Amino acid sequence: MSDPILATPFPRRAGAALKDDFLQQALTIATTKFIDLRKEAFATLPEGDALRDRARAIKEATLQRLDYYLEQLADNVQRLGGHVHWAATAGEAREIVLRLCRERSVKMAVKSKSMATEEIHLNEALEHAGVTPIETDLGEYIIQLAHERPSHIIAPAIHKTKGQVADLFSRELKGQFAADPEVLTAVARRELRQKFLQADMGITGANFAVADTGTLVLVTNEGNGRMVTSLPRIHVAVMGMEKVIPSMTDLMVFLAILARSATGQKLSSYTTLVRGPRRPGELEGPEELHLILMDNGRVRQIAGTLREALYCLRCGACLNVCPVYRQIGGHAYGYTYPGPIGILLTAMLEGDRSVKDLAHASSLCGACKDVCPVRIDIPRMLIELREHLDRGRIAPWHERALFGAARRLMESPTLFHASARVGRWLQRPFVSGGRVRRLPGFGGWTTTRDLPPVAPRTFTERWKDLAR
Amino acid sequence: MTTRAEFLDRVRREMRKTRGLFPAVSAPRSARPQEAADAVRRQLVERWPQALEQFKAEFERIAGVFHRVSRLDEVPAVLARIAAERGVREAVGWDVAGLGWDLRAALEPHGITVRPAPPGDDEADRARHREEAARAPLGVTGVDWALAETGTLILTSGPGRPRSTSLLPDTHVAVFGPSALLETLEQVGMMLEARHADPVLAGSGGAINFITGPSRTADIELTLTRGVHGPKEVHVVFVDGLRGVV
Repeated sequence: MSDPILATPFPRRAGAALKDDFLQQALTIATTKFIDLRKEAFATLPEGDALRDRARAIKEATLQRLDYYLEQLADNVQRLGGHVHWAATAGEAREIVLRLCRERSVKMAVKSKSMATEEIHLNEALEHAGVTPIETDLGEYIIQLAHERPSHIIAPAIHKTKGQVADLFSRELKGQFAADPEVLTAVARRELRQKFLQADMGITGANFAVADTGTLVLVTNEGNGRMVTSLPRIHVAVMGMEKVIPSMTDLMVFLAILARSATGQKLSSYTTLVRGPRRPGELEGPEELHLILMDNGRVRQIAGTLREALYCLRCGACLNVCPVYRQIGGHAYGYTYPGPIGILLTAMLEGDRSVKDLAHASSLCGACKDVCPVRIDIPRMLIELREHLDRGRIAPWHERALFGAARRLMESPTLFHASARVGRWLQRPFVSGGRVRRLPGFGGWTTTRDLPPVAPRTFTERWKDLAR
Repeated sequence: MTTRAEFLDRVRREMRKTRGLFPAVSAPRSARPQEAADAVRRQLVERWPQALEQFKAEFERIAGVFHRVSRLDEVPAVLARIAAERGVREAVGWDVAGLGWDLRAALEPHGITVRPAPPGDDEADRARHREEAARAPLGVTGVDWALAETGTLILTSGPGRPRSTSLLPDTHVAVFGPSALLETLEQVGMMLEARHADPVLAGSGGAINFITGPSRTADIELTLTRGVHGPKEVHVVFVDGLRGVV
């Protein structure tokens, strides 16, 4: 992997994030606000829990008949005059977009926010091929101008101050702009409005695709999703194949919980249902619509340990509540998808080996599972992932040796009791004030944490005394 | 490149290895969507005043501006006032078939130039109307449904009902009457199922937009800012005496 971010090991990336005072402050403010907004939104929805159960059931039911729904979706999109492409890998997905650009002489593409296109690093590929991609979600636009990556699934630029954005805009867009979100938003509006009207291609992801009607569903707050699907002559949607859902009735269940989970809104400002290219007699809308259905590691998880992660709606709620994400932010994870679900999605897309460190970047507290709109059991899958890493000898040797030894100790009562006696003696030089404060070879643990010492008399010893 | 058959084969191969995590079914749907939708409409003939009250509260909560008149012939004065307050004299709007009434005839006496959507899909019209819509400060539409639960306007695109009317102008004004009101997202689902089951309507409407307040963002320091790409303001003119158009 030639990625410069990944060249630094995860503990060092996380360490750097912890020392970044501004990032720390921004993360606390943003995640706390999202948590509060979500809580308020669900407080006024008494049927919220029942809706979440239904949403979870719909996702599972869809996976159980996935081949049927994918065929139905493809047939309906084609019946409406759209084109469907099948991509097994990120490379294939990129190649399909690039071919469309080549064949249709596309010079500029406007994009609405899409994790799927982030995942396949589409922008770099487009630039390389001489096509200018323009991110139009304000947060993504900022990130693109700054040559950075999103740090949160739904708030990509939360790590930047308005001062930094003002400097960035002033430099990149040649002007003098005040550090005021109103002013900066107006600047972006003016700048991007022209691009919407000029671009040949609009590129989106899809929050859902309704099999029964061949409808692609885009949820945005800014209206850029509407712009890119209304104004350019070609619309290309890149979608993970698991986003298909059976019907409009199902869609309503997801809409009722998606925005509430993400931003605490009852609905996002715009939910756009796209059915094919421009219909007969319609003045506006694209002449061509292309849907790219993408595997990229997803299909093998249908029967894999990460199956449940295929339910994910990409709302970002699990990031906000995660004690690890709240401390280190999105960039430290190093991949497209951060946070607890991001670890699982990274394992899905890049393989288990890529998360040998990240799999441990969780306290397993379960807050992610509690807030997930479709109740994905993230902690269970993280534990299973750790187990795989151990079995596959992917975890570092000293870690495996240590846990191997711990296992042998705990399997044998004789060894276990003996180790308590030996430990009591060995720990003596390191105990101060009733805690083990340093331990040779375990500095990584003891510099930030204390260990409880082995007790003078163990529980089993005291129990024997009592039983007498 | 992977073909459809190869892709689906791979999916089926994986599916055969597992029965899934737990027994599950998708949301139950009506076998007769048209009848279900009609039943909802009949209930709302009685209940719309409560739905309207909830719509108004929710719409205003998300920064919508609500106006109410009793008859259609009072609408032009409201639109003229909205235009005058913003110092604008131009508007785009849905055509007579789309709105159910003639926007140009209504506003020209008030000195507002109206460029209604051309009815067909002529190439020259398309280019011209895009220019007009991009320049116009005011866009006037009807709605297919207005959802009380969330203060949402639902608009389907079609001939004489361009998508850009509610998107490009700084101010969007939607005019509708009691028959557009719905109470819940579930009812919206029923209407969409019924629309899809209708042989004529099923093929129309390239875009159905749910509009919940003005365009907004909080991408810079989580500061809520309106009008980032779409309209900065959304108004509703509710007309008690306006009967079904859709």
